[in-house]
Amino acid sequence: MSTLDSTAVAVLDDQQGLAELPDFTTDAYKDAYSRINAIVIEGEQEAHDNYLSLGTLIPDQAEELARLAKMEMKHMKGFTACAKNLGVVADMPFANEFFAPLHGNFQSALKEGKVVSCLLIQALLIEAFAISAYHIYIPVADPFARKITEGVVKDEYTHLNYGQEWLKANFEASRDELMEANKANLPLIRSMLEQVAADASVLHMEKEDLIEDFLIAYQEALNEIGFSSRDIARMAAAALAI
Amino acid sequence: MRNPSPDSVDAIHINTFKYDRRQHMFGLIGHSTSFEAARRKALELGFDHIAEGDLDVWCSAPPQLVEHLEVTSLTGKTIQGAYIDSCFVPEMLSRFKTARRKVLNAMELAQKKGINITALGGFTSIIFENFNLLKHQTIRSTTLEWERFTTGNTHTAWVISRQVEINAPLLGIDLSKARVAVVGATGDIGSAVCRWLTQRTGIKELLMVARQQQPLADLREELGGGRILSLDEALPEADVVVWVASMPRTLEIDADRLQKPCLMIDGGYPKNLDSRVAGQGVHVLKGGIVEFVSDIGWTMMENAEWQMEKPQRQMFACFAEAILLEFEACHTNFSWGRNNITLEKMDFIGAASVRHGFSTLNLQGQLQAAAA
Repeated sequence: MSTLDSTAVAVLDDQQGLAELPDFTTDAYKDAYSRINAIVIEGEQEAHDNYLSLGTLIPDQAEELARLAKMEMKHMKGFTACAKNLGVVADMPFANEFFAPLHGNFQSALKEGKVVSCLLIQALLIEAFAISAYHIYIPVADPFARKITEGVVKDEYTHLNYGQEWLKANFEASRDELMEANKANLPLIRSMLEQVAADASVLHMEKEDLIEDFLIAYQEALNEIGFSSRDIARMAAAALAI
Repeated sequence: MRNPSPDSVDAIHINTFKYDRRQHMFGLIGHSTSFEAARRKALELGFDHIAEGDLDVWCSAPPQLVEHLEVTSLTGKTIQGAYIDSCFVPEMLSRFKTARRKVLNAMELAQKKGINITALGGFTSIIFENFNLLKHQTIRSTTLEWERFTTGNTHTAWVISRQVEINAPLLGIDLSKARVAVVGATGDIGSAVCRWLTQRTGIKELLMVARQQQPLADLREELGGGRILSLDEALPEADVVVWVASMPRTLEIDADRLQKPCLMIDGGYPKNLDSRVAGQGVHVLKGGIVEFVSDIGWTMMENAEWQMEKPQRQMFACFAEAILLEFEACHTNFSWGRNNITLEKMDFIGAASVRHGFSTLNLQGQLQAAAA
């Protein structure tokens, strides 16, 4: 069935090809990078702290969680080097504020001893967010950052997998809390994506791609845990609807 | 890239063993025919929130494996399949990156689900081909294995060729004395149909119509015959017209200038010929459609927009190709790239089509209705 209106094809033919790299040296790029990079650094820091905190809730897993936390710290250092390489100072106050709502939710869940909510926030949402953003960043990154990010992505999959496996093993007991935590936190991820969209676009990362890739990673994790595709569609809808 | 096309039937059998996997699973990547249709379908399936979203929401919606299927061949063999909706709708065609992402993400999902052979239905293969997605083999952490996918064009070309052979005589057209025009002659399907009609059917004359002249001249040389004409010149001369190109929206066909009777096979996508020309002596048949011997319990095909009269057993031949390849345990990208469709491959897929219980959509029903 290989036919397509000729005019459409003509227009589309011109746009073929792989992602075009941005100019990493412009002020506009560096300005946007100062916020994106700060978010990444803050995200890795949060992840580090969150995994250590989770260790207090699941003491028999504390060692494994400390190992994950250590990896996150390594990532943080890698991304700090990326900013240095471009001569950019990360805007950390912006990143702190950016993560504040999610940070607050994690801390409340932690205080209440809600392992499931904590895992959903850190090991599913934040990891899926990071994985999708890193994947989209890699083809448009500067060579130095590209190499570092490629290494990080491999690690992040193990982290997503960690939360997935724990929740899968405890699926029936976790189900309701997962639904609830999803409802409270997925909209935060969505609004974080919105906040970052303009800067991401300067880095040649499109909002549409970020959302879809995030949803793919998140849905995959939920599916693996044991949710049906209909449940997942309902849960994911919170991220699509503004 | 692993190369697509085994050159002979023997080669196809060799690949059978190479790619045989544990489970018997075929896949179909489809999409709705319009944004409105997609929303209705999503509502029916219980995806309410997505259904209510605007086009931007759909642009960010991930592909969904919406249905598992089971098909039993006339030979008794039963296989499983899955229908994946890419969440693409034709309204996204003007958004190049979105369309590309939809197709690649749906393919990634099919591969991750461990599906052996998946057909790229509707616009999926068109986007793949025209947007040159071969350049995008890596999706996130997945490297797409091309041998898991097929455009389904070989089966479509065989079905259209058979539709010419079966239906022309029903209208009293003697093919040995007939001129057959192929509009879109240089495309993947069109060139295969030209090859078949020239070498197998024994028609009086092949009229070839296409936009680009050089590929037409090359095809004529390959075939050792055929006449190159403009659409305007070809239509009044043709007893049979095979459309495998999409028509410009503005195209008007004057039925008075056509031969009577005239068989028109609408093999384009989407199918829109019917309303324009059908009339006294002009018979339009939907091309590249097959009917399975029994009902398939799927809900995705029960979609009025596909315009199948019997949606429980009729489908696009390209979808059926994935089913056939799975029945044959022929796990290879059987139809891939452009101009790789040989007569041997058409023979192979045609024989499988008949053996497993598919038949081509024919005029009979329509003719009886007209006579009544």
